[in-house]
Amino acid sequence: MSIWDKIGRLDRRWIYLLVAIAVVLPLIVPASFRVYVGPEAQQLFDAVEALPDSSVVLLTFDYYPSTLAETEPMSVAALHHLFRKNCKVLTLTTVPLGGPSIAERVTRKMAKKYNKMYGTDYVNLGFKANYVAVLKGLGSSVESIYPTDNSGTPLAELPMMADIQNYGDVDFIFVVSDNGIVENWISIVNAQYGTPIGAGVAAVMAPKFYAFIASGQMTGLLGGMKGAAEYEILVGEEDMALKGMAMQSLVHLLIIGLVILGNVGFFLGRKKEEGI
Amino acid sequence: MVASGLFEVWIGAFFTLAIFSFLYKDNPFYKFAEHIFAGLSAGYYIGLIWKSVIIQQLWIPITNKGEWSLIIPGLLGMLMFARFFRKFSYISRISLAFVMGNTAGIFLVSQLHGLVLPQTQSTMLSLTGDGFVETLFALIVVIGVVSTLIYFYFSKEHTGVLGVTAKVGIWFIMISFGAHFGFTVMGRISLLIGRVYFLYNDWILGTLAMFD
Repeated sequence: MSIWDKIGRLDRRWIYLLVAIAVVLPLIVPASFRVYVGPEAQQLFDAVEALPDSSVVLLTFDYYPSTLAETEPMSVAALHHLFRKNCKVLTLTTVPLGGPSIAERVTRKMAKKYNKMYGTDYVNLGFKANYVAVLKGLGSSVESIYPTDNSGTPLAELPMMADIQNYGDVDFIFVVSDNGIVENWISIVNAQYGTPIGAGVAAVMAPKFYAFIASGQMTGLLGGMKGAAEYEILVGEEDMALKGMAMQSLVHLLIIGLVILGNVGFFLGRKKEEGI
Repeated sequence: MVASGLFEVWIGAFFTLAIFSFLYKDNPFYKFAEHIFAGLSAGYYIGLIWKSVIIQQLWIPITNKGEWSLIIPGLLGMLMFARFFRKFSYISRISLAFVMGNTAGIFLVSQLHGLVLPQTQSTMLSLTGDGFVETLFALIVVIGVVSTLIYFYFSKEHTGVLGVTAKVGIWFIMISFGAHFGFTVMGRISLLIGRVYFLYNDWILGTLAMFD
C-alpha cells in the first residue's frame, strides 16, 4: 500500500486531533497573525461614526448561544463604539433560546464600563415571539409589541423610551445575527421604513449578504470571527475575536494543506487506476 | 471567580466535553448531554412564550386594560389544540388559514419590494462605467447573472451557445459554492475556538486561580 493509499484511508479522528492541536497550540505558545480591515467592516464603522451625538441605535442580539464565539465579540465591539459616541442603545432579540439573557448580560457589562444608566442611555426590550409580527409592529408602535422591557418595567417608566415611538425615531439598526432574520430586517424594515441597516453575521451566512452591500440595502457587513476582529481593530479594543484569529489562521493553513494533500492523493490514485 | 460561578463553569465544561466525545465515537455521555439539551430547550421555550406572549400580550391587556378584541386571536390560538383530537382536528384549519393568508400577504410585499426588485436593479449595471476596473466588475456581474439564469433554464436542451453559456454559469455557481464552503469552515472553526477558549480560560485557568 502506497503512502497515498494510506492517506486516503486515514481515520478521520486523526484529522480531528490535528485540528485540536492547531487550536490549542496558539493558547500555549502565543502567536499573532495580522488582520486586515476589509471595506465592508470599514463601511459599517464609518456609518456608526457618522451618527450625530445621542442618536438612537437599535442593536439586535439575534443569535443563539451556540455561535457566541463569532457573534458576541461583534455585539461587544458595537457597544464599545455606540456607548463611546453617546448613542441611545435599544436592544432586542428575536431568538428565544439564550437571546434575552445574552443581551442582558452583555449590555449591562458594557454599560457599567462606560457608566451608562439603564432607562436613560440604554433599554433592553428582550424577546417577543413571531419575528415577522415584531418587525412589522415596531414600525407602528414599539409599545404595542413591547409593553414592558425585558425585566417587566413598563416602557412609559423609562425616560429614553419617551422619544422612541417607532422606526422613524431610530437612526440606525445594527443587526447581529446567526440566522436568516437579517434578510427580514432588510426586506421588511429597510425596504418599507427606510431605516439604514448594518449587520454582523455568522460566517456561514456571510457570502449571501455581500449582494445586499452591492445593492445599497445594507450599510456594512461583518462576517464571522474575522468580521468581529476587524471591528475590534476599528474601535481599538483587542478582545476575544482578535485573540481567536491566530488559532483560526493556523487551522485554515492546516485545512488548506489537507485539501491539497487529499486532492494530490485522489489524482495520483486515479492515474494509477487508469494505468492498470 | 466565586464558587457558584465556578460550579456553572464546571457544568459547562462537562457538557462541552460530553458533546465533543462524539468525535471519538457515540457514547452514553454524549447521549446524556444531547437529551438534557433537548429537554432544557423545550422547557425554557415554553416558559418564555408563556410569559412573553400569553401573559404579557394576551392576559394582562385583557384583564388590566380591557382590550377585549384580543379574545379573537386568543381563541384562534386555542383552536390549534384541536389537532390533538382526530374528530375535531379540522377546526385547527381555521387558524392555519389565517396564519397562511397573513404570512403570504406580508411576504409577497416584502420579498418583491425588498429583495427581488432591488437585487434585480443592482445587476443592471452600466458597462461603460467610470474606469477599466469598474467596467470589468460590472461585466463579471452581468455575465454571472445571465449565465447562471441560463443554467436554470430547462425548456431547451443545453447545446450550442446555450450549452456554452450554461457551462459558464456552472463555473460561477462553483465559485459561489467555494466561497460558501470557505466561510462555513471559518464559522465552524470559530465555534470550536470559542469552546476551547472557554475550556482553557474559564475552566482550567479559572479553577487553578480559585485554589491559588
